[in-house]
Amino acid sequence: MSEVFQISLSDWHFFLEKLAVEWDVFVPVKINQFIDYKLYNSNYPIQYNQPLPVTPLKTFFLPFQENVVFSRSFHNKKLIVGVPSCDLQALNLLDEIYLEETSPDPIYRKNRENTVLIGTDCHTIRTSCHCMSYGIEPFPTANADLNLVSLNDSILLTVYTSKGEALIKQYPEYFKNVLPDKEKLELAENRRSATLRMLEEQNPDLPDYSTTGDLVLHAGEEIWQKYARTCVSCGACATICPTCTCFLLIDRPDFEKVRQVDACQYPGFEKIAAGEDPLHRKSVRFKNRYLCKYVWKPERFKSIACTGCGRCIDGCIGKINKNEIFLELSQQA
Amino acid sequence: MKYSWNYHNKPDKRIMLETENIYRPIRATVEEVIDESPLIKSFVLIPETEFHFKTGEFIELTIDGYGEAPFTPSSSPLESHKIEVTVMKAGYVTEKIHALMKGDLVGIRGPFGRGYPLDRFYGHEVLILGGGCGFAPIRSLLFNLMAEKEKFIKVILCYGAKSPEDCIYKPFVDQLRKVEKFEVYRSVDKADATWSEKEGVVTKLLDDIRIDVQQSVAIVCGPPVMMKYGTFRLLEMGYPASDIYLSMEKNMSCGMGKCGHCMMGKYYVCKDGPVFTYEEIKEQPDIWV
Repeated sequence: MSEVFQISLSDWHFFLEKLAVEWDVFVPVKINQFIDYKLYNSNYPIQYNQPLPVTPLKTFFLPFQENVVFSRSFHNKKLIVGVPSCDLQALNLLDEIYLEETSPDPIYRKNRENTVLIGTDCHTIRTSCHCMSYGIEPFPTANADLNLVSLNDSILLTVYTSKGEALIKQYPEYFKNVLPDKEKLELAENRRSATLRMLEEQNPDLPDYSTTGDLVLHAGEEIWQKYARTCVSCGACATICPTCTCFLLIDRPDFEKVRQVDACQYPGFEKIAAGEDPLHRKSVRFKNRYLCKYVWKPERFKSIACTGCGRCIDGCIGKINKNEIFLELSQQA
Repeated sequence: MKYSWNYHNKPDKRIMLETENIYRPIRATVEEVIDESPLIKSFVLIPETEFHFKTGEFIELTIDGYGEAPFTPSSSPLESHKIEVTVMKAGYVTEKIHALMKGDLVGIRGPFGRGYPLDRFYGHEVLILGGGCGFAPIRSLLFNLMAEKEKFIKVILCYGAKSPEDCIYKPFVDQLRKVEKFEVYRSVDKADATWSEKEGVVTKLLDDIRIDVQQSVAIVCGPPVMMKYGTFRLLEMGYPASDIYLSMEKNMSCGMGKCGHCMMGKYYVCKDGPVFTYEEIKEQPDIWV
């Protein structure tokens, strides 16, 4: 299933506008210097092939707050356009946690089923991008239903899954006789290798995911204390991370429960009733996140727990750069 | 049209999410409240539907609109129409639980986790080390052991508390002493005139008992510091780490290995535990908190 459709940019937007009548269509839009998902509106400057929406993909399946016992809104069908590879890869871990056989999460499953994902090739990179260091390519290879590449005034749409195919088949009027030009396909390939090259040049010495675990495990306390000095426990790194999914269950009257994003960086995260709190100290909380991502999650799950999206680097108000930590650790080793 | 108190005059649009929802508690009524000690109370709950659990598994007890907390039932797992939890007043939710009265409505989610592997205890001597409110899961286990007592050589319970008035389940202990194959030893940190049993920390009781270490398994449940030194003492006695079963306490919240609050290294205590052998967890960080 790798049928490729070519469609002009205006026809593509025509299609999105039509779909937006019934679906919630989210597109990546540039707001000030940031890119973020917005509900489709033809006036928005949509950005294709750009990293990286501020909102991680997980938010569509595990919203900041959600009533998990009663729903007050209908779960609309969603189309999310322009998801980068790193966020798509992060879904592997989320699926392992939330769809595991013994106790699958019904709300997550419903959100996942209701959503069609359109991935996108990254044609530029940001200074914090380092997906390649963790074995992820800057173009979708998993979890996307369709893949989108925007070249000049046309869109190349590759079918990845039957779910994606079904959507295309539902609107044949937009996707008729639109076989791709050979040069467009070649151009798309060239852009891919160009991005790969840029990423390689950007992070030549960054340790890969097979070594990060050992580096974290054997790091001395002083490195965590040093880097945690400017940490203010705001939890931005965790809330913005595409693979961090810890949550708090808040009780509401009538035995309702609301699931809300939580982070191990907040004080009291592991505190028990008797008062003991293993994560009482800030530097221990700080280290905990690294242990979780690079040691414990890899021991337990098949999927990786850091996809190199770099959001935690951009989002940190304490200017803590995790890549600097790993470079320092690898130089020490 | 009938006048409605609904301010917006709109129909209630709530949709219940799936009947088999892991987050929705079932209702239970408080049937009886038992004062066990100044800080500990037991609550007999009658769930709206039959509730089955295995000994050592835990439930989340919800106080409507307020919060929930994890407890291992202290009642017999062989009963499914009633469930008993023993709660020490320690924090935000437990304070509210202590205010419950007969007839009040609570919520129950679960059962969650991995309980005691009874089949691994068959044919052995069973040594149980309990402290304070940690008697609760042990009592449930003892009910189970009593029901199948022909499968064990003998069962020794060593229980410690701070003071005589902090000792819980007094009628149950009296009853247990009369059961063949069951031995009960108790100690308190600080004795008074009423106390005729041992004085000292619970591990002191291990000096007096006669047990064939090679033929036995040990179970420990109590406050973190007692679990820690209890385990060390058992190791000294010659128990292999794989024969020491610990009931771990962490901040279990969702109960299904998702919310992340009870992570202990690679383990989710709520899902992989709360019962672990020491062998399984000895390499993990902060096990004694």
